Amino acid sequence: MINEKIKISTKNLNVFYASKQALFDININLKENKVTALIGPSGCGKSTFIRCLNRMNDVIDICKVEGSIKIDGDEINKKNLDVNLIREKVGMVFQKPNPFPKSIYDNVAYGPRIHGLAENRESLDNIVENSLKKAALWDEVKDRLNQPGTGLSGGQQQRLCIARTISINPEVILMDEPCSALDPIATAKIEELIDELKETYTIVIVTHSMSQAARVSNDTGFFHLGKILEFNSTEKIFKNPDNKLTQDYITGRFG
Amino acid sequence: MNLTIIILILIFSLSCFFFGKTKVSNKIKISRGKLNSLPKYYGYYLAAWCGLPALLILILWTFSELYFVKFIILSDFKADPTIDENKLNLIFTEIVSIAEKKFSGQIPQNLIPYAERFLSLKYIFELSKLAVIFSTILFSIFFSYEQILKNIKAKESVEKIIKSVMFCCAAIAIFTTFGIVLSLLFESIKFFTVVPIFDFLSGTNWSPGRAFIRDASTEIADVENVFGAVPLFWGTFFIAAIAMCVAIPIGLFSGIYMAEYASRKVRKIVKPLIEVLAGIPTVVYGFFAALTVGPFFRTLGEIIGLEVSSESALAAGIVMGVMIIPYVSSLTDDVINAVPLSLREGSFSLGATKSETTKKVILPAALPGIVGAILLAVSRAVGETMIVVMAAGLGASLTINPLEASTTITTQIVTILVGEQSFDDPKTQAAFALGITLFFFTLIINIIALQTVKKFREQYE
Repeated sequence: MINEKIKISTKNLNVFYASKQALFDININLKENKVTALIGPSGCGKSTFIRCLNRMNDVIDICKVEGSIKIDGDEINKKNLDVNLIREKVGMVFQKPNPFPKSIYDNVAYGPRIHGLAENRESLDNIVENSLKKAALWDEVKDRLNQPGTGLSGGQQQRLCIARTISINPEVILMDEPCSALDPIATAKIEELIDELKETYTIVIVTHSMSQAARVSNDTGFFHLGKILEFNSTEKIFKNPDNKLTQDYITGRFG
Repeated sequence: MNLTIIILILIFSLSCFFFGKTKVSNKIKISRGKLNSLPKYYGYYLAAWCGLPALLILILWTFSELYFVKFIILSDFKADPTIDENKLNLIFTEIVSIAEKKFSGQIPQNLIPYAERFLSLKYIFELSKLAVIFSTILFSIFFSYEQILKNIKAKESVEKIIKSVMFCCAAIAIFTTFGIVLSLLFESIKFFTVVPIFDFLSGTNWSPGRAFIRDASTEIADVENVFGAVPLFWGTFFIAAIAMCVAIPIGLFSGIYMAEYASRKVRKIVKPLIEVLAGIPTVVYGFFAALTVGPFFRTLGEIIGLEVSSESALAAGIVMGVMIIPYVSSLTDDVINAVPLSLREGSFSLGATKSETTKKVILPAALPGIVGAILLAVSRAVGETMIVVMAAGLGASLTINPLEASTTITTQIVTILVGEQSFDDPKTQAAFALGITLFFFTLIINIIALQTVKKFREQYE
């Protein structure tokens, strides 16, 4: 417990969509090499929050982010910062699998090519193979790397997206409801994968499934109406939450 | 006459509507206790039955009347074997103009009885038309009234009538297309009986003017080797290619700018402004090309010591390219916007910049749609007439020099058909052959374009 290092910390984080405020004073510390689950009813700001962590909200014109977000102590929510460097460091897996309409190989090689991580074909092959192995997809696709990534099943597509994310060696992986479009078997595979990935990466996962949060995470944060009501170890949250609302939500009495 | 009849029919329909809406529906209400449709549907039903059959008969009657009158009048002349069909038509035109007192010059005495007969026939036909139409109206009002009393569902019947009226409108559009194609086809077939189709498609000498020079001894037009359309095909292709060299890069990049880079505010202003280009009449582009761009290139050529003709393929092609920029840019913008946001986010989340994302993810994904957009623009360029007529010249030559005058299929059609022509002349018929060739070109391009666009849509829907 003593050696736990804080990877990401936010201070007084407020987010606005045009004039509507989506997040209110979020203060939160996410630990390195741990899985943090964010739960809460739809529209409570979970996704908005993790999209702040890799500046993905920049894509949305009307979105304004105020406050401080530090990764390894460095402020990332400031102007004149190369957002691409942050995104290289903080990868993201989306709700719906979104492989590019390219071959499986090119999907994984996309990031390394852009950042010039491989000097020759051989080392690129290695990166692709390792990423696919880490994403537990290699055995299923090694004979058809040249086929389109969009032709895989939903679960395979999502693991391809995870492979794509880890191909550029990020430090943090954000997952925005990565299993909500998948069947239970594919979900189980992804959860297994998350367990392995936390050895190397810091993982933040947004989920609607209580059992998933309980299974995969070390810490859990409960969001409600744009505020973080409770943040604690997963064990504590699920066994003995401080907040009545948290208790109600977890037991399925609302939300 | 016809106008009066139409107005009368409309008045009848309108009164039927009110009659049905109030009187008839009341009567049913009293006798059956309950209506099966809203009162206005009874009105619509009666009005439709009153007006539509009468209008249909009016149209058919008007078209067939002339044909019958002509047939009866000309039956006397048909016995004479020296009079062929063209001459028959001429005689009939003369008879009609005598009858309508529009004949200029010496009236041929032998035709006067026919003119009188024409007038009396017409009178009879008009009278019987009136009689038939009004008995139709009475009959159909009576029929529909009976139907309503039998408690048919007026609402459903009105639905059926509306459906068939709409179907007729769609059918008219389709039949017109078929009509156009068929008329082109028949005239072209006449042409191809005189000029072999192979000579037309592969000959390299286009000078239809020479087809007029008749051999004095044989009275046969010299049609050999003057209807080679290859220079026209080449000119069309060449000018369209120059146009695409302008339109593809500018249209594509402005489309990408609007879809990916411009903020919503800028896009809202820029997109309509670019689309204004599409709204400029082509004749305006034509004199812009002829009066501004053409002379500009000539002056430019003089300065650097090149001989540029003031009518050049280059000027026409460039202006045409400007004209089709909005086609390319608008469609590019649309297909890029159709690429799901999730793909962009996937790329951004890997630390790719906007241009990397556009180049490596968006454009490959949108490529089929963009190709479709470009093909549609090509078919527009190939069919464009005005700019080329005004700016590219008329001389058909096989040249790859863009600074010389050039000509296209459309331009030649215009040149051939402007002025007085006789329709049995191979020179005139050549226009139809060119027309149908052009039609096939653009049809094929359009089919391929629509197919590729459709394929692209299916991918993301």
